[in-house]
Amino acid sequence: MRSRVATLTAGLLLAASAALAHHGANLFDMSKAVQLKGTITRFYWGNPHNQVEFDVKNEKGEVAHWVAYTEPPLVMLERGWSVKSLKAGDEVTVYVFAAKNGAPVANLGKIVFADGKELVANQIPGAAPPAAR
Amino acid sequence: MRNILVTTAIALAAMAAAPALPALRAQSRVPDLSGDWAPDRTRGGMGQSLSLSDIGGRKRGNEDDIPYQPWARAKTLSEKTSTGPNSQSEETTDPQVVYCEPPGVPHIYLWPIKTRFIQTQEAVYILYELGPAFRVVWLNAKHPADADPQWWGHSTGSYENGDTLVVDTVGFNDKTWLDQMGHPHTEQLHLIERYKRVNQNQLELDMTIDDPGAYTKPWFSHRNFALSTTGFLRYQQICSVRENQQFSDKLAKPATASGK
Repeated sequence: MRSRVATLTAGLLLAASAALAHHGANLFDMSKAVQLKGTITRFYWGNPHNQVEFDVKNEKGEVAHWVAYTEPPLVMLERGWSVKSLKAGDEVTVYVFAAKNGAPVANLGKIVFADGKELVANQIPGAAPPAAR
Repeated sequence: MRNILVTTAIALAAMAAAPALPALRAQSRVPDLSGDWAPDRTRGGMGQSLSLSDIGGRKRGNEDDIPYQPWARAKTLSEKTSTGPNSQSEETTDPQVVYCEPPGVPHIYLWPIKTRFIQTQEAVYILYELGPAFRVVWLNAKHPADADPQWWGHSTGSYENGDTLVVDTVGFNDKTWLDQMGHPHTEQLHLIERYKRVNQNQLELDMTIDDPGAYTKPWFSHRNFALSTTGFLRYQQICSVRENQQFSDKLAKPATASGK
């Protein structure tokens, strides 16, 4: 059974945060999370960072392809994630800290499944309304 | 792949050769450092910088507690970090990111990885999830008269007061940064680490950084670790130029580009 619920185990959580991420956390607006509804197309579990790819369809039917990253597997294992946490075809709501330059790439905040279960990657200061992207 | 196999084989051999700790303790009051140690989130975590006055790296090059020589300050300020408040990930000069070189020590303690100690009568083996890598701390030993400069240096160790492992390391090359903020060092670096298990669940590391080639006097840093029971090396965190390039192409470059 795949583990969808991110469990934050007090005292065992490694001390990583978005601010400590390599490869440019300051490229993303960490002050607010953007909410997107989409379909997972690929979940890459590996170094240097996990990557979640998903398609988002707007009201005109246009599809935008997004890529969001998390901390490396060692850190995400401590947060309850695994290689089986996501699969292509999953319909999800994704909260991301989007690139400041408007590109459809992001630092992942969390993923919420249809049944309400969550995969948390980063603490979210406050979810913004759906973006008109 | 070969490095992983060698690392694993040596680590397993070290564990197999380890005598029973109670016997060691009875002989020399050897502290029990067993367990998996993660950066202690509740007591400072990892930080970006070894500077205790600027653990987040916001005053890089101008910290109160780092006695730079002028060239070392200029070198620090010239570096482009891959993390921290003013990171420039796509142009970083961090050799660990650019070349996938070993972080060395103490830099490795600024990563979100666990550390494990394997204590034997001959040596203490310090295993790291990042790399994966390991160091050998030789007990009852002396440094070579003219140590060949290498990534992790040459380490000797001793126990003090029944609760502390003291690690003395020389023979570093000058290729690594001391931390994520680009603090340099020379081959003259003499690092003293003092690992003290203050209770069942907490380990403290005091460091003395003595490098007359880069700093005007010795300076000090500190890290805290918490005992973890979630498992060791559940994933092999390996630096791959190919994977870094793939990540850069897919995420970092689009986020860095001007406009969509």
